[in-house]
Amino acid sequence: MKMKLSQIIVALLMTVGLLVGLEIVTATLLPLFNWYDYRLTFHVLIIIFLAIRLDTPLTPWMILVLQLIHSAFSVEGWAIGTFAGIIILLSANYLKEVLHLTTALMTMITVQLFQIIWFVTVTTIICLKISDFSKFGMVLWSFVPGSFILSFIAPFLFWFLEKIWRGSSESSHGVGI
Amino acid sequence: MKLINESSKTKVVNNFIVGLLAVYGISQKSFHLDDPTLFEKIVTEVISPVQEGIVSSKQSISSLWDNYLMIVNTSKENELLHKQISRLESDISSMEEIRKENLRLKQLLNYSDELTHHKILAQVVGWDSANEFKVIRVNKGTRHGIRVMSSVITDQGLVGYVYRVTPNYADVLTILDQNNRVDVLVERTRTHGIVEGVFNFTCALKYVMRNEPVEVGDKLLTAGVGGIYPKGIKVGMVRDIAKENFGMTLNIEVVPSVDFDKLEEVLVLVPQQVEESK
Repeated sequence: MKMKLSQIIVALLMTVGLLVGLEIVTATLLPLFNWYDYRLTFHVLIIIFLAIRLDTPLTPWMILVLQLIHSAFSVEGWAIGTFAGIIILLSANYLKEVLHLTTALMTMITVQLFQIIWFVTVTTIICLKISDFSKFGMVLWSFVPGSFILSFIAPFLFWFLEKIWRGSSESSHGVGI
Repeated sequence: MKLINESSKTKVVNNFIVGLLAVYGISQKSFHLDDPTLFEKIVTEVISPVQEGIVSSKQSISSLWDNYLMIVNTSKENELLHKQISRLESDISSMEEIRKENLRLKQLLNYSDELTHHKILAQVVGWDSANEFKVIRVNKGTRHGIRVMSSVITDQGLVGYVYRVTPNYADVLTILDQNNRVDVLVERTRTHGIVEGVFNFTCALKYVMRNEPVEVGDKLLTAGVGGIYPKGIKVGMVRDIAKENFGMTLNIEVVPSVDFDKLEEVLVLVPQQVEESK
């Protein structure tokens, strides 16, 4: 099944809207309730979804767009996450035949696995940039609780994203998880 | 079934191009200072008012709670505040005397303070959405006179410095961030050291030699070295000192002066030449 470019753009815009909403939750709403540590990095979840679910040459560019939006909310910038996104995309392409997100539990485990790949990639690059690997363990400590929460949220968010991307497709069947 | 099927050759090419762009972006990235792109400026300017609105709404609700539901405590607080005002007025009076004396002594010593500062009050509207960074966003930008590298403080002490700025918003790299290093002095002993962000709202004081007489409870002030922070701003207090059997320096844990959990308003100090201020 193929999607028209216009359909992809509509779905991408909706995904960007969702990302902006979730970034505001992380950056503003949760800190108002004293949730400062263990940030929920929703952009990682969305990018993992795109990497696993879509099979289009445009996916890297979509990751770039999402990361550019994310860079307005974080000094991390767009580049490191885009690179990590490409690594996730390549990994997902190799593992696609064995990835069967048939249950919520499988989705959570898969998302946790890809979050670890993301974390290792991003943190290694940051440590290389600041020439200090002593912070790796501390960042790991802050990553673990947030990543578990994200993995629990993943089935719901994926269901929602599935609606967005399936709705843009002309087919009534869409994607089988 | 997949949503889209395209040739794998195009995929490889696209992955390669975007990957290269990312590598270039990484090579250009600095965690100490940033000049936002036009795209980042536009997105920040469009989205941040929403963040500001959420913060204002929460504060309005909190204010309503404080004013109406907690009114039973008002009279007691009022009495307490009156006492505090009397004490503070007395303090201000004596501080004014000290200030005048300080001014006279500086003139006497031909002291030349190159920089004065504009003070801009700003409200915190958000935090960085990534785990690795401790950055806050405030609702004032270049239009209000804020520039990059401006110091940011509260009445409690040092918050950080302006990392990037758009016309109406600025991102502040706090002292909790691992990329922010503050040259400090131990108030009691005048020992120099560097404060770095660690994790969980604590900092570390580094490069203090083992034989320095630093103690738990010592206060840390900015040393005024490096051209970002003015001298004498409170940074934190020594909470724990670990002296290991090896190494030349002490492992010192510092608790920041600023209560970052309750950070709502900050003061941005924009450097200004003495000539301009006159």
